[in-house]
Amino acid sequence: MIAPGTAQGIRSGRARGATEVNLRVNVRQHVTQALYDIIGVAVAVVMLFPIYWMVATAFKPGRDILTLVPKWFPAPFTLQNFQDAIARPFFLDDVKNSLIVVGVMLVLALAISFLAAVATARFGFKGRTAFLVMIIGVQMVPLNALIIPLYLMLDSVGQTDALPGVIAVYLAVVLPFMVWTLRGFVANIPAELEESAMIDGCTRVGAFFRITFPLVGPGLVATAIFGFIQAWNEYIVAYVLLSSPDNQTLTVWLASFTTNHGPEWGPLMAAATLTGLPVVAFFLILQRYLAGGLTAGAVKG
Amino acid sequence: MKFTRTWLSVVTVAVAVIATACGGSTGTTTNPADQTGTLTVWLMNGSAPQSVIDSVNADFNAKYPKVTVKIEIQQWGDIGTKLDTAFGGSNPPDVIELGNTLVAKYAAADALENISGKKSSFDNSNTWLQSLTDSCTVNSKLYCVPYYAGSRAIIYRKDFFTAANVQVPTSMDDLLTVGQKLMTAHSSDPNFSALYFPGKYWYAALPFVWDFGGNIATQSGDKWQGSLNADSSQQGLVKLQNLVNALSRADKTGDEAKQDAAFAQGHIAMIIANGWEVGVITDPKAGNPALKDKLGAFPIPSHNSGQTAPVFLGGSDLAVAARSKHTDLANAWVGMLTGQKHMSDMATVGGVIPNTTSLLGLGTGLNQVFFGAAKNSRFVPNSKNWASVENANVLPDMLVKIFTKQQTIPDATGSASSRITSLLNGGG
Amino acid sequence: MGMAVAAPDLEPVPPFSPSRRYRAWLRGNILPYALISPSVLVIAGILAFPLGMLVWLSLQHYGLRELIHHAGDWVGLDNYRAILVDPLFHQVIVRSLLFTFACVALTVVLSTLIALLLLRVRSAVRVLVMSSLVFVWATPVIVSVDIWQWMFDYEFGVINYLLTQLHLGNFIHHNWFDNPVQGLGVLVVVVVWGAIPFVTITVFAGLLQVPNDVMDAAKVDGASAWRTFWFVTAPLLKPIFLIVTCLSTIWDFGVFNQIYVMLNQRPSSDYFTIAIYSYRESFGVTQYGLGAAIAVLMVLVLVFVTFFYVRETVKVAEIA
Repeated sequence: MIAPGTAQGIRSGRARGATEVNLRVNVRQHVTQALYDIIGVAVAVVMLFPIYWMVATAFKPGRDILTLVPKWFPAPFTLQNFQDAIARPFFLDDVKNSLIVVGVMLVLALAISFLAAVATARFGFKGRTAFLVMIIGVQMVPLNALIIPLYLMLDSVGQTDALPGVIAVYLAVVLPFMVWTLRGFVANIPAELEESAMIDGCTRVGAFFRITFPLVGPGLVATAIFGFIQAWNEYIVAYVLLSSPDNQTLTVWLASFTTNHGPEWGPLMAAATLTGLPVVAFFLILQRYLAGGLTAGAVKG
Repeated sequence: MKFTRTWLSVVTVAVAVIATACGGSTGTTTNPADQTGTLTVWLMNGSAPQSVIDSVNADFNAKYPKVTVKIEIQQWGDIGTKLDTAFGGSNPPDVIELGNTLVAKYAAADALENISGKKSSFDNSNTWLQSLTDSCTVNSKLYCVPYYAGSRAIIYRKDFFTAANVQVPTSMDDLLTVGQKLMTAHSSDPNFSALYFPGKYWYAALPFVWDFGGNIATQSGDKWQGSLNADSSQQGLVKLQNLVNALSRADKTGDEAKQDAAFAQGHIAMIIANGWEVGVITDPKAGNPALKDKLGAFPIPSHNSGQTAPVFLGGSDLAVAARSKHTDLANAWVGMLTGQKHMSDMATVGGVIPNTTSLLGLGTGLNQVFFGAAKNSRFVPNSKNWASVENANVLPDMLVKIFTKQQTIPDATGSASSRITSLLNGGG
Repeated sequence: MGMAVAAPDLEPVPPFSPSRRYRAWLRGNILPYALISPSVLVIAGILAFPLGMLVWLSLQHYGLRELIHHAGDWVGLDNYRAILVDPLFHQVIVRSLLFTFACVALTVVLSTLIALLLLRVRSAVRVLVMSSLVFVWATPVIVSVDIWQWMFDYEFGVINYLLTQLHLGNFIHHNWFDNPVQGLGVLVVVVVWGAIPFVTITVFAGLLQVPNDVMDAAKVDGASAWRTFWFVTAPLLKPIFLIVTCLSTIWDFGVFNQIYVMLNQRPSSDYFTIAIYSYRESFGVTQYGLGAAIAVLMVLVLVFVTFFYVRETVKVAEIA
């Protein structure tokens, strides 16, 4: 044992201590990391189980679906349910209609809400509070309560059984939420960043688009995904407004798998899986922008 | 000259006036071949086979070549909401298929055309099934045409009966005895039910109430009185409770939605079911096709030996919207679908009970039993407020309380009856 | 760069402190009005009439016949009076509030935990978890509730089977909806399951926006993970938390589909939440006036309950 206190002793003692600490920290880091990873996987499994059940059922032949002892894996495996589902009349029409409705609505909603979000996040103006209160207040009204008024209103302009009517309703319903959420994301980014860019020679608008806009990326993505899902999966308004089978959306098509004889489980699960695929695809395309915020979060002085 | 010109112009105007008067939009004197327009028809998902619809349209277009028929299939879920908005709007569909328990509600609200005067123009109107006709009649006026029906009987496993050495029961007491023997024969199976009866299955409970002379409600003038608490009604429910206690392991708080899947699993001897449920049980894709030859059917027996109990007649009617702009065309289309030719197709191809007793002989195989049961059928109180009773779950809740022994039969029927009285008379 | 950024410390960073010139430019402009005008036009244009009609309906006796004839009977505040004295209404409000509280609390807590977890797992696991969240989010509610109903089915349900197999009791032929408290508990699970994806992804996006040097500074100062979260991260995320809590409250208070579909479109009155009660009065017994009045009352209750959040949000959003 080198006598503590002498310079040499302190240095080598420290060096040995440092190595031991390093090793301990390494192992502990690995164990902690593994623990987090295991919990993460467990979370995914629990959340996914009902979805797994849906997709597995889609591949099971009918007699394996409602059984007293659950069959965990679809063995025998069959594509019959998917074939049934796709063969339903108007499937492609309904896919097209859903894509049109949601696509148009989303583009309009993102553009309009982003402008409003910027306005309320960066500017102080008279009526701003009133606008925000209106945005929040409108969301408190349940959509179901507005079915009859909406129908009568659209009926008077001949927009029942027409896609533009549905797009308009979805737009009005999703917009308040989008404005409010995006406002939060924009507000979270300090204006100093734009300021510093302006000092470095950017124009005000340029500063905004070059600095803040990319940073709001994750927020825009989350909001876009939400808007997509709200519109894609909405049922009652689409059902009430659209009557011609070639005008209907996928959610109404999904409802056709439940007759007064009860739901046809196999084809319904297959149809539901198919209906969910575009949303997942939409997310997978956008998800790297969500993760890209990791590097965007670094602000160096 | 002036006189001739004046006379000519008067004549021209007169001819023009007469021509317009005769050529009116309903086209009563116009040649059918010249009538134009679009006829919108709402049919429910799964009601008519596509071949029947195509055939009706072909016949219709042969007579009205310039009229376009748009068939729009509607979903059962939330159909009430959809109908409310459609009738409230300016452009309702011309022809609508309505579940028979929904008709009174819309008829009383002036949504449907009163076709009392046109009844004789429809095929077989003298022999329409009584309960369906009742469902179309509100305040002695006819508001729709019976379309098709479904009735219930008991589907049973012939092989289980043979193995337990029992015969088809001919009375309710006999049914209990047969069931008990089956339970004994399968005492080693903890999932076995001789008669699988989910608690909320009120359609199957009604035959017992009706058989003893009871009813859901009776009408005097325009006031309704709930009568499930009458002695006769209670007698029927006591009988049913004995059967359920002894013979059923079904969920006492569940409904009949999955009973076919349960039956296909092989642990059940009898269920009270609709004719089409045979197809579901033996469906090659979703059911157990091996059961096809093992299934039989018999009508629900009465408590009087040798007779059958009255059954609930489900089904649909076809109505014309009061605001339709083509009422004549609409009625013509309805007339074709419910006419002799296509109604026979509905029975043979569609397998549903046709709207007239004259065609009940068309039932084949097990369907004969179900078609026959339709002759002794009844309906729910035909009040415009009946839908409220259904939506408030009065009957299922009452049955659940009885079967789970939460309440005695007198208490449960008492509170259900007062609820029904209040709802049918327009209260809440 | 010569720009000095304020040295990060453990106090919450004030949300907004621009220089005078920028602030002046921001304030004296018609630009903000131009920016919000499309939103105002769309929302007012499409929703003003229906909202007005909703209130108008609530003041009438309006049944199916009135709907067809487009003429109601004016009854003033009678509908409101009838509802407010109805003991069922009181039950429904209390039940809705409790249900909402349970759902929102569980959702926000669990989602934050998962979001924090996402920061720490390796990227492969992160993609797995996020994908699973999106799969859940992508499934239409009417379908996912069908699946949950089936999973909790009396006879064919996986849950009963699993619980029995795991020897957690005998759940064979257990009916989860027999007892409304148990049934509502199941519904809370279903609602929270469906709500977690959005809240998690939103909170996670917010976490990503927290500058790294703030987090590093906290670590250098020796703060533990918990203290870092509570004193550094959470205050920075206050706007996000306010938003998701407020939104979750609004959504969960208005929960309809899950209960409606789970109970086969015929929920008994023990399961009524305010949204179901309103729908039933409107379309179940076709008393649109009553249904509208209930909806209006629902909005008023919601305004009252979220008043604090809304005020906080608007305050936080104040431009200095």
